[in-house]
Order: sequence, then structure tokens, then C-alpha cells
Amino acid sequence: MKIRPAIRLTAIIGVALIFLTPLWWVTISAFRPESDIFAHMFPINWEFMFPRVLSFDNFVQLTQSDFSRAIFNSCLVAALTIVIGLLICASGAFALAVIDFPYRNAVFALVVVGFLIPFDAIALPLFEILRGYNLQNTYTGLVLPGVGSGLAVFMLRQFFLGIPKELREAAMIDGMSWFQIFWRVYLPLSPHALVGAAMILFVFQWHAYLWPLLIAPAPDHKVASVAIAQFSTTFETRYGLMFAGAFIMAAIPMMLLLLSQRYLRPSVSSSGGKE
Amino acid sequence: MANCRNIASAFCFVIPVVLCVIALRLWPAALAFAKSFEVSSAGDLGFDNYINLFGDSDFLNSLRVTILFLLVVNPLQVGLALALALLMNAALPAVGLWRTIVFLPIAIPPSVSAVIWGVAYRPDGPLNAVLAILGIEPQRFLTSPEQALSSIIVIVSWVGVGYWMTFIIAGLQDIPKSLYEAIMIDGANAFQRFWYVTLPLLVRPITFVLIANTVANFLVFAPVQILTQGGPRGATDLIMYQIYTRAFDLGDMQTAYAATVILVLVVVVIVSLQFYVMGKQDREARHR
Repeated sequence: MKIRPAIRLTAIIGVALIFLTPLWWVTISAFRPESDIFAHMFPINWEFMFPRVLSFDNFVQLTQSDFSRAIFNSCLVAALTIVIGLLICASGAFALAVIDFPYRNAVFALVVVGFLIPFDAIALPLFEILRGYNLQNTYTGLVLPGVGSGLAVFMLRQFFLGIPKELREAAMIDGMSWFQIFWRVYLPLSPHALVGAAMILFVFQWHAYLWPLLIAPAPDHKVASVAIAQFSTTFETRYGLMFAGAFIMAAIPMMLLLLSQRYLRPSVSSSGGKE
Repeated sequence: MANCRNIASAFCFVIPVVLCVIALRLWPAALAFAKSFEVSSAGDLGFDNYINLFGDSDFLNSLRVTILFLLVVNPLQVGLALALALLMNAALPAVGLWRTIVFLPIAIPPSVSAVIWGVAYRPDGPLNAVLAILGIEPQRFLTSPEQALSSIIVIVSWVGVGYWMTFIIAGLQDIPKSLYEAIMIDGANAFQRFWYVTLPLLVRPITFVLIANTVANFLVFAPVQILTQGGPRGATDLIMYQIYTRAFDLGDMQTAYAATVILVLVVVVIVSLQFYVMGKQDREARHR
């Protein structure tokens, strides 16, 4: 592969620009007056991608629309999922990695194999079950499917396995209970793994579409990923609001991903089940 | 005594996650399985729902569309991810920034990417504006039976390719430099280096990406539901949308459950295949 570096760099930048163009277009459409969104297109000119007039109008109007409620719901659901999900997944991973108990491997296999079933594939029967418990249009119904994540358990367990056992032996000699060892030794040693698990839980909820569409269609519990899809099905499409909403919905996970990127090195050796 | 304490503590720690896997995966899967064999409200069992499902032209069309979609989108995405990984795996200025840009679309929720591409595909939208300066007639994209599925493939590939690329870059960086030095002493050209060193050592990450990607593409729902509602004329009726319309538009829960069972079984078989193939590669690697 002896491509000269200059040619290769040009190709790389070209590819990056292709991937970036839709994002740039969403951004400038969110920040330009609504009447300009479809302007400068036929024939297309530079001002289409580089607007001369910028405005925050779309965002101001967005805060006065129902969409602000949907963003609030999304944030609340994501926050509750992260807190509850981290507690459940980290404590499960702790027992599976650290405490010696009978059938531990069988329990681990149950958790890993069970979570191999993709959530969306069983969303329909789960919806029927939770409807039976009157969990439609409740935060409980929205949060519940996100709190258990096989990937988060697997990742945290891998990390906990790497913590030297001398630490917990010392803690036990000091008379700590398992709960204290978990809370005061293992969790404080694992900020990277916890950030990674929190991102897994967050992205699951922020990206969820089918589930909230089924369980929470009412306006007071509607989340943003569902609300944004309904801008264009209402009588008249407000493109300015839609682009502003799309910008917020994309910018929040992107910022979190960029901030936590160094915690999240993808590697096949840690995700391919190489036990 | 200590052992009893271990068991009691372990139980408390592990029970929430075990309840989650049962309540959120195994129970719904079992419920769909049981209901899919119920053929009357009295609880009689039989294969009628499956027979009805496979006699339904809409379902058969959905299977055909889903298989066509997967046969195109999986090789396309894995091929592009491999090409991008090979291109971007170089020590060049700001290469981390360029990689991040290609990776970024995965952060966007599927419903948001569907909505923004829906505007881009409009007859008076920016894609047709770009085609106009190239002298190409306006295209119908999502409203054309011939172009709708390809338009959906473009959306999911823009989102996914950069993500899968990162796994292959990680695989490339695991290849020892010494192998390239050895084969260059033997006088290998660029193609031989790729064919005899790079590709064999990428089999593992490529297998992982191919299977994870296949599962993800089985579950594509948001762009279909938001942009095409399975149309025009059933051209984009992917399996997840077919199940959704069966359950909620037709109110036919029995066959919707039967279709759910088929989907879950197919996905679980594919994922098991991953563990089998990768386990086999490991065993072979050890024997070498």
C-alpha cells in the first residue's frame, strides 16, 4: 500500500468531508432563519452551506414548544437509567467477578446469553407484559428496559477481574463487609469502567425509538427521539424547529462521546468473548 | 460460615441483574414463543399462526425485502469499513480528527438521522440541488419503489460505517510490524503484503464486525417507520416494521408473535455462529 502520503491525506480529508457535510448542513440550518432553510438551492450557491445571516430564533421558539418537554423527558429518563443501571450492573458484575459462590459460571452464562437477545426484537411481547401492569405513559415503563445491560455487566466484570485480590483480602482483614468492599474499594478504583458503562446505558436510552413509541405516546411522557419524528407528520412542518431539535439531539451524545472517548477504546479482544 | 456469608451477599449483589435478564429478555421471548402457538382463545395449541404467516403475501414480501437489504447492506458496510480503515490507518497530520469525524454519525439517534435525511431526499431538497448542478434530473429517492431501499441503505451506512471502521483499525494496529518486515525481505509487493499478512490477521475483527453489523441491520426500524412506512408498494417493508404493522395496524398479535419468534431465533443463531467461528479461530491459532 505505497500511496504517497499527500495523496492519502487528501483522500482521508475528502472522505471526512463527505461524512461531515450532512452534519454541517443540519447545524447551519438550525442556526439560520427558518425562511432561509430552503433558499439558495436552485441553483445551489455558496450561501446554502455558508449562511450570511445567523439567528437563534429556531432555538428560542423551540423552548416555547412541546419539544422542550420532550427533551426534559429524554434527559430525565437517561439520568435515571444511568444511576439505577450502574447500581444494578456494577453490583452484578462485582458478585460475578469477585465473590466465590456456587453456580457462578452458570449465572454469568445466563446473564450473557440472555442479553444476546437484542432488545428491539422482544419489544413487542415486553410491551404487552408491561401494559398488563399499567406502565404505559410512565417514567417507570420508559426507564425499566434500559437498566439491565449485558454489555455493561460484561465490561465491568472484566475490569473488576483485573483489580488485584490482595486489595480485598486486606479490606477483609480490616473487617469490611462485601458491601463496603464494593462501595469503598472497587467502585472508587473503576472510574474509567464506570464512565464506559454509563455511556452504554445513556446511548441505549437516547437512541431508543421503537420502545418509547410503544410505551409512552402521550405528550406528557413523550421523549425527544419520538417527538422529532412527529414534526413532519403534523399538519404543517416547522423545519426551523425540526433542525434545531435535531441539532440538540445530535450534539448532546456527540459531546458526551468526545468527552469520554479516551475511556472507550473499542477492541475486539475485549468484546468478542475471548475468555 | 464465611461461605454462607459469601452466598448470601452474592445473592443480594447478583439478584437485580438476574431479574433484569429474566424480566427484560427471557420472559418476553418465552411469552412470544408460547403465544405464537396459541390458535384459539380457549388456549388450543397448533402451528396455524405460522402457517397463516407463511401464506401471507405481505409477510413473504417483507422476508424477500429483508434478505435483499441484508445481502446488499452487510457486504457494503463491511467493505467500506475495511477500505476506510486501511485508508485511515496511517501516521498523518490530524488523522485522529479525521477518524473521529467519520465515527461521529453513530452518536446521532436513528430517528434524528432519519428525519434529516428525509429532508435531504425531498424532491426540492439539497441532494436534488447538487444533482442539478451536475446536470442530472431530479430523483424521487424515497417515493420511488426502485430507489427507496437504496436510500435507506445510504442512511444506515452513513451512520454505521465509521463505527465499524474503528474495530478494524484496532485490528490493524494489533498486527505485528515484524510480519511486514519479514515478508518484505522475501520481496513481496503491496498486494502480496495485503493478501498474505493483513487480510488473514483481520479475519477475526472482520468476522466480529460482519456479525454484529448483521444483527444491527436486522433491527432497522426508525427510518422505515418515519420515512416510507414500508412503501412505496412494500419496497422497504423490513421485518421489524412488518412485525410492528401486524401488531398495531392489523391488530393481529398471533402472527406478530410468530414473526417475533422467527426473528429472535434467526438473530440468536447468527450470534451463536459468531461465538462458534471466533472460538474455532482461537483453537486453530493455538494449534499453529
